[in-house]
Amino acid sequence: MLMRRPSGAVVVGLTLACLAVMPTCATAETVLRTRLNADIRSTDPGTNRDANTDGVVAHMVEGLVAFREDTSIGPMLAESWNVSNDGKTYTFHLRKGVKFHNGATMTAEDVVWSLKRWLDPATQWRCLSEFGPSGIARIERIEAPDPQTVAVTLDQPTALFLPTLARPDCGQTAIIHRDSVGPDGKWIAPVGTGPFKLGEWKRGQYIDVARFDNYASRNGPRSGYAGAKTAEVDRVRFNVIPDSSAAKAGLLSGSLDAISALGVPDLEDLKSRPEVQISVTPALGLTGILFQTRDPLLKDVRIRRAIALCLDTAQIADVVMQGTARANNSALPIGSPFYGEVQAHGYTQNIAEAKKLLVEAGYRGQPIKMIANKRYGFVFDSAVLVQAMAQALGINIEIEVLDWATQLDRYNRGDYQAMAFVYSARLDPSLSFEMLTGPKATQPRKVWDNPEVQEMLRQSMMTDDTAKRQALFDEMHRRFIKDVPMIVLFNGAELAALRKNIKGYAGWLYPQPRFWGVSVQ
Amino acid sequence: MLGYLARRLAMTVPTLLLVAIAVFTLVRLIPGDPVQVMLGDAAEPAQVAQMRAQLGLDQPIPLQFVHWLAKLLTGDFGHSITDNLAVLPLILERFQVSAIIVLVAVGLAACVAVPAGLVAAWRQNSALDLAVVGSATLLLSIPSFWLGLLLLLLFGLKLKWLPVIGYVPFSENFWQAMVFMVLPIATLTMIEIGVLTRMARAASIEVLRLEYVTHARAKGVPEWLVLGRHVLPNAFAPTWTLIGLVLGHLLGGIAVIETVFTLPGLGRLLVDSIFARDYPVVQGCLLFTAVIYVVVNLIVDLCYPLFDPRVTLA
Repeated sequence: MLMRRPSGAVVVGLTLACLAVMPTCATAETVLRTRLNADIRSTDPGTNRDANTDGVVAHMVEGLVAFREDTSIGPMLAESWNVSNDGKTYTFHLRKGVKFHNGATMTAEDVVWSLKRWLDPATQWRCLSEFGPSGIARIERIEAPDPQTVAVTLDQPTALFLPTLARPDCGQTAIIHRDSVGPDGKWIAPVGTGPFKLGEWKRGQYIDVARFDNYASRNGPRSGYAGAKTAEVDRVRFNVIPDSSAAKAGLLSGSLDAISALGVPDLEDLKSRPEVQISVTPALGLTGILFQTRDPLLKDVRIRRAIALCLDTAQIADVVMQGTARANNSALPIGSPFYGEVQAHGYTQNIAEAKKLLVEAGYRGQPIKMIANKRYGFVFDSAVLVQAMAQALGINIEIEVLDWATQLDRYNRGDYQAMAFVYSARLDPSLSFEMLTGPKATQPRKVWDNPEVQEMLRQSMMTDDTAKRQALFDEMHRRFIKDVPMIVLFNGAELAALRKNIKGYAGWLYPQPRFWGVSVQ
Repeated sequence: MLGYLARRLAMTVPTLLLVAIAVFTLVRLIPGDPVQVMLGDAAEPAQVAQMRAQLGLDQPIPLQFVHWLAKLLTGDFGHSITDNLAVLPLILERFQVSAIIVLVAVGLAACVAVPAGLVAAWRQNSALDLAVVGSATLLLSIPSFWLGLLLLLLFGLKLKWLPVIGYVPFSENFWQAMVFMVLPIATLTMIEIGVLTRMARAASIEVLRLEYVTHARAKGVPEWLVLGRHVLPNAFAPTWTLIGLVLGHLLGGIAVIETVFTLPGLGRLLVDSIFARDYPVVQGCLLFTAVIYVVVNLIVDLCYPLFDPRVTLA
């Protein structure tokens, strides 16, 4: 959709004319036009979703708590909370005067209704299993002792309760008004508390979110999905544009104001354009090479270690991400508050040692098949560089390019020798390790089967003592480097390109754009 | 004529059934499944199992086929796994977009290609012929995405005459819709001109060699009348067949052009659905395309007697 913003003079003229004629008159609407590479799946938070869906829905709904910029947990609809001494009961004190999009005031009853709806299997909430038998804890009771208080009782203490509630892929466990669903319980549209409300959604074309005028913003700075949220434009239009070249042309021609999730290949070109500004933010995703430790050849840790030692990860990160991301061999992302001195110690290139290990292991050029995909260009590029660096040592890696769905299938079944892969963002360090380690017998997708580490992981999930958790993560990192179940290469970066008249945009660790606090000038 | 029509329609039933079986099986033979794609790298096995059960994907495949076919016979193409929309309305909505581009582009292309092919054949082996054949081969060889992007950069970005992205349905505003359609139609027209010119030229050369053309010339019929009355109608029949094939092929989706110009057409729907392993939509799209193919070919065959009186439909 091509829309021209009216010039300043026209706006002033119209406004004056309106003021002269009518007692109340809306000024010209400001619209921020951005891009999605694929349409969202639904407007129902945390159910029928993907990353794009989470990102758009986060403009419309909020939960009790939210992730701050540094991935710590901050208050959102809850003003504050207490945890009982046994660590099982969380009492949330709600903010007063929070309005839903339909004008109703949020009360404890809405919170209880929303939480119970998420926990109802019929809702198909993505994070329901976290509160099931194999999850972090069961929820035993949800009560509202008064209209401003909600108490949630768990069957066991866990450090992950609040981070799970805040997870964007869980829809931030949004507190919504019951008008969001029909009498039959079927989802209609989000009646949330966010700074934007749902506008028009033309499937395959665009989705609009419109400013919610009665939004009750928190004080303090904008921070992640927490903090202040003010809609400074009347409407944000997410245009569905699958082709990145078309999106780029849209930005340059002025039909788009912002493109997030920009590909690295487009960066160089856009940087040199005077009308465009670039935003680079470290991201939480994790790109690396996975090994199947049950493979007849790769079960030998010496071969895996040799591959790790022949790589110059700094160079890989630099070439693949064109200087926008740093190398990282740790399972924890660089931006994590738990990323410290220990995590910074990974693999250092050592060709002599690698050669020695290969001789000891009796490696004689047997081919190693490595799966990669082109959906994520940086994954494929990383695979090619790893192949080239390993080649120099006589390690024979063959790359097999699959489409993403096929690769995911092979990943979930553990059916591969090696694969270049990207994990999506995990906002808690325990979850970062949880995505890697587990028993292969029951969870074939896990790359790292080490029972001692799994025990440490369990402990890290039970306690919220920061020092204790740090010690556990440090030890897990040392073992991760020693066992080489995979080689983490880098965390990537969130790249966005905006026209110069867009002010206030900032990326953060979570790779979805936020358009509150962003204005068009 | 009616008997012929009835027989042809009856013949489509086994064709479509075979297509249905092939489509259903092939889609499931591709590795990967919709639930895994939806849940991504953070899928818990319990979640996957629960979702598969909800979608009926845990049932044996023959049973799933029977369910699908039974619903299909009542006109129900099922619902999209991705966004839970009914498949048939979704396909029809997207098809409108593709159909307008394809019909206009092939129509325009035929208007250019048939005369161009005729003239090239008439002046075979001349500089003019070389120029026509050369241009046609060039147009035919250009990948559509590249041509589309070049046009986009030139008219959208450099000259700023036309919008770069977006789409307005014809039902909303005809002229605005046209503005968004110009570039995709131009791209497809140029490529199809390449395809059709070569066919029209080859067919015309055949006809020009025939005795009745020599006879017409010998009795002094002006050259333009020879071409117009004797060559063109006879040379058009094979081109018409090709137009039918091209239409059938293109109506199934012009995914590349739709992607470059961000149009919500059938081709993009199919490609997106394949990547998402959205089985009902993929099946629906492919079956729909097969029906279009059959229908277009039927129409082409029914039109034959108009161009060639020797053909009778019996």
